[in-house]
Amino acid sequence: MVADDATLRRLLAGIARGEADRLAELYDLSSPKLYGLILRIQRDRGLAEDVLQDVYMRIWQAAGAYRPDAGPPMPWLVTIARNRAIDSVRRKTEVQGPELESGEDWVARIIDPHDAAVAFQDRDALAACLGRLEPLHRECVVLAYCEGRSREELARHFDRPVNTIKTWLHRALAALKTCLETVS
Amino acid sequence: MTGTGAPDPDVDPGDPDLRAAEYVLGTLDAREREAVARAAARDPAAHARIEAWERRLFPLAETIPAAAPPPRVRAALLRALPGGADARQIARLRGQVRRWRMAAGSAGLLAAGLALFLAVGPTLEPSGGRYLAVVQGGGTLPALIVRVDTRTGIAQVRPVGAEAPADRSLELWYVGAQGPRPLGLVGAGQSQVRLPAGAAPDGVIAVSVEPPGGSPSGQPTGPVVYTGKLLAE
Repeated sequence: MVADDATLRRLLAGIARGEADRLAELYDLSSPKLYGLILRIQRDRGLAEDVLQDVYMRIWQAAGAYRPDAGPPMPWLVTIARNRAIDSVRRKTEVQGPELESGEDWVARIIDPHDAAVAFQDRDALAACLGRLEPLHRECVVLAYCEGRSREELARHFDRPVNTIKTWLHRALAALKTCLETVS
Repeated sequence: MTGTGAPDPDVDPGDPDLRAAEYVLGTLDAREREAVARAAARDPAAHARIEAWERRLFPLAETIPAAAPPPRVRAALLRALPGGADARQIARLRGQVRRWRMAAGSAGLLAAGLALFLAVGPTLEPSGGRYLAVVQGGGTLPALIVRVDTRTGIAQVRPVGAEAPADRSLELWYVGAQGPRPLGLVGAGQSQVRLPAGAAPDGVIAVSVEPPGGSPSGQPTGPVVYTGKLLAE
């Protein structure tokens, strides 16, 4: 279930005024989505739970900084959750987690129309532009974004030097940007 | 269709827009992430580059399936909020301080105080400025014995049965009329802590469970596990 923007905006405004009940409502509406995202990146469930709680504490403190004119609330919440989750895995210096198995086809899912809170044209544009990338470059971008994989993990996964992964990422991102500018 | 439009091979890796993109993607290491976040906090243009990439890639976030978090996260979150259960517990302690102050002469409390003295068995000097708190959880055994000298402002802390959960620290608080003040972490052995200025003998000593190293905010953030009242020695 995806809450509508107006509801989320109303709740964020309440949270900015210090209303704890609104935070509880926001949590009920948005935590499955954010926890799903966090858990893909931070695979240790205990740590993922800590990140989730931390994310809502951050929302509690930062709700006043949310500007409705800068965009809908869900991407704002997702950004906080992804940043905290990625910080939590990057802060560890040791090699983390098992080798990724990469069972999910994230690119296929993006085209799948049933998850649709985002404007169709944005989704379709990103799907189309990802589709034009070299397949390995695309996989790097998607594994990094959806599963929080570091350059080193990607290098191991693809059995390539880290510098090659860096180059792939840079080319893919530059190409994506150009493509999205022409498509939209 | 794939592999066409080969991107410019001369992509500049120092390009700030690529740094922003990698920041959003998540592939920078901890130090690089911090540097980008710091730059974005100062520089609106850097901030705008990051926001643009967040917008571009957001549709990918929509593909990730939701997962219901366990109910304990919600409970812990609400407890940690100001006005949450922990804050209410501190308010309750403050109420207890007031009630104890009023009931200081009551026979029940005297009896309880006496029992605690007998259990601890210190030398009983009728005293100027010296107090004792036997800090207890729910059970009958004391967790900490805190001996306070309000003239020197020093408290001696001796843990008896205080156990911190794994990966957490126990933090000691003095709760007076102004609210909780941190005294320090509870170590394994006997230690000395300095009381906050103006600490009065009608305060309460409390122990809360905190992240390793103690509460980041200067106020108790975890559950209060032990409390005890200061008694005149």
